[in-house]
Amino acid sequence: MSRYWKISLVIALSLLVLLFSPFCGLSLISPEVIWIPGHPEADVFWKLRLPRTVAAFLAGAGLSMSGMVFQALFRNPLATPFTLGVSSGASFGASIYFWLGGSTLALAGSLGPLAASLAGAGLSMGLVYAVTRAKGGFSTAVMLLAGVIINFFFSSLVMFVQYLSDSHDSLRIMHWLMGSLAGLETAGLADLGFVVLAGAAAVGLMAPEIDLLTAGEELAASRGVQVNAAKVRLFLVSSITVGAVVSLSGPIGFVGLMVPHVCRLGLGWSHRLLLPAVFFGGGSFLVLCDLAARLILAPAEIPIGIITALLGGPFFLWTLFKSTRTGDVF
Amino acid sequence: MLKIENFSYAFGRRPVLTDISLEIRAGDYLSILGPNGAGKSTLLKGLLRLHDQGRATGRILVKGRDLAGYSQKELARVISYVPQAGGWIPPFSVRELLRLSRYPYAAISSGLNDSDLAAVDRALKLTGLGDLAGRQLRTLSGGERQKAYLAAALAQETEIMLLDEPASFLDPRHAADLNRLLRKLNQEQGLTMLTVTHDLNHPAQAGGLALVLAGGRKLFFGPVAGLLSGGILEAAYQHDFLYLFHPRSGGALVLAE
Repeated sequence: MSRYWKISLVIALSLLVLLFSPFCGLSLISPEVIWIPGHPEADVFWKLRLPRTVAAFLAGAGLSMSGMVFQALFRNPLATPFTLGVSSGASFGASIYFWLGGSTLALAGSLGPLAASLAGAGLSMGLVYAVTRAKGGFSTAVMLLAGVIINFFFSSLVMFVQYLSDSHDSLRIMHWLMGSLAGLETAGLADLGFVVLAGAAAVGLMAPEIDLLTAGEELAASRGVQVNAAKVRLFLVSSITVGAVVSLSGPIGFVGLMVPHVCRLGLGWSHRLLLPAVFFGGGSFLVLCDLAARLILAPAEIPIGIITALLGGPFFLWTLFKSTRTGDVF
Repeated sequence: MLKIENFSYAFGRRPVLTDISLEIRAGDYLSILGPNGAGKSTLLKGLLRLHDQGRATGRILVKGRDLAGYSQKELARVISYVPQAGGWIPPFSVRELLRLSRYPYAAISSGLNDSDLAAVDRALKLTGLGDLAGRQLRTLSGGERQKAYLAAALAQETEIMLLDEPASFLDPRHAADLNRLLRKLNQEQGLTMLTVTHDLNHPAQAGGLALVLAGGRKLFFGPVAGLLSGGILEAAYQHDFLYLFHPRSGGALVLAE
């Protein structure tokens, strides 16, 4: 099967998942009733399931795309959207919010955690950028080191805040850290859509630069890429995307690791071809995970981060055994 | 074609290159020699503008124009680069690697046009890699991979090509094949070539010009014939050499004592 057929197949299957998923849940919704005004199932469809499906799709697409970019930038398939600490910064912001309470922060209402985690994500992103710049140029090694250190630092701060919190707030923090699309704030959905789609467009335009950076920075520069400027743009686009997703859904792990890897097995490393597959594949994968999260222990709901993590463990083992056989993690 | 005027480069207070001046004409073949740490690769990086420009002084003129005035893409249309084959292997097929070389000519993400694809095919033909075009680089032998890098630089269609120890990971047969191909490209395509090498017999056999660096300074620059006398190599490497003549070709051979 040619690579173009494979991409078409991934996109077609993803659109099918996107189309049918809002009708599925604890009870199936008939397509006829969704157009009847005031029908209770129509309300469930339009106000709950559809926004949630769209959110899951955008989150999966954004995280997978950012994972793909970081893996290319660091030339390491084990890099994730959270490697540079944006997620732990967002977690720190959210945990501060839950600890101090919305009224103290004048951020009452369900938008509070969103705003606080966005601020945290922005703070960690700014720190990674400043540290990398301070060392001169925009070295990938320094960026990676700064990201890992800031990741640990904010993770420690999250634990510290959790230690200071009472049991109720601590539970809320822990629940946020698991990642979930339950109780989603639809007000942020349009913004998330804008950020993820704009990010995808930017990454798409930079696909040749990403390919060349994957080939090596010296080679990329000798082929005409302004390496430092390209790295800064990719860092900003990916980090802003991750920050926006994590602020809305919490840190949903492994999706940004698994989806690009699986897509690369079929499509290789040409990012012009890889991006659409990763975007649609990641989006629909998380929609399916969300469906599983809602159905496995229904009517109770499992945080989606648990589902992706349960899939991620075996996936890591598979990657390890595959790399042992081939002698190569790619 | 290429003029270097009083070029110096330093890491802090430690000079890596000091006051290098030379001029290369179109179609010249220059072998750059010198012991480890002599500044050979730094000179190549200077020509590619890969170095930290704040640490460099002097001037480099490419086709009469200051290197600093070139945009990165403009420079990539004049100078191509063949890296060493060791280390990181890009996860691409040979053809994909060659297609990436057309980046300096392509509009943003518009893909490649017919002339780009023709340049890729020409480079594959010149290097005899047509049959391997679909193979992943990581599945090739060292010699084949080095040829793929050379083909990628050819697909860039530049007038100047820089090569960083192109034969260092190759067995004697593949090294000889590659050196013959380089000389052929220089003579038949008129490519200006600058090759960093540790193989002292390479300039002796390839002819053209030689530059010998030692301790970051220019010890010798001129036709290769001048290199084989006067104790230049001995001074550069702090070692004795034996000079022999090939029984069939009559060319010079250099052996480390």
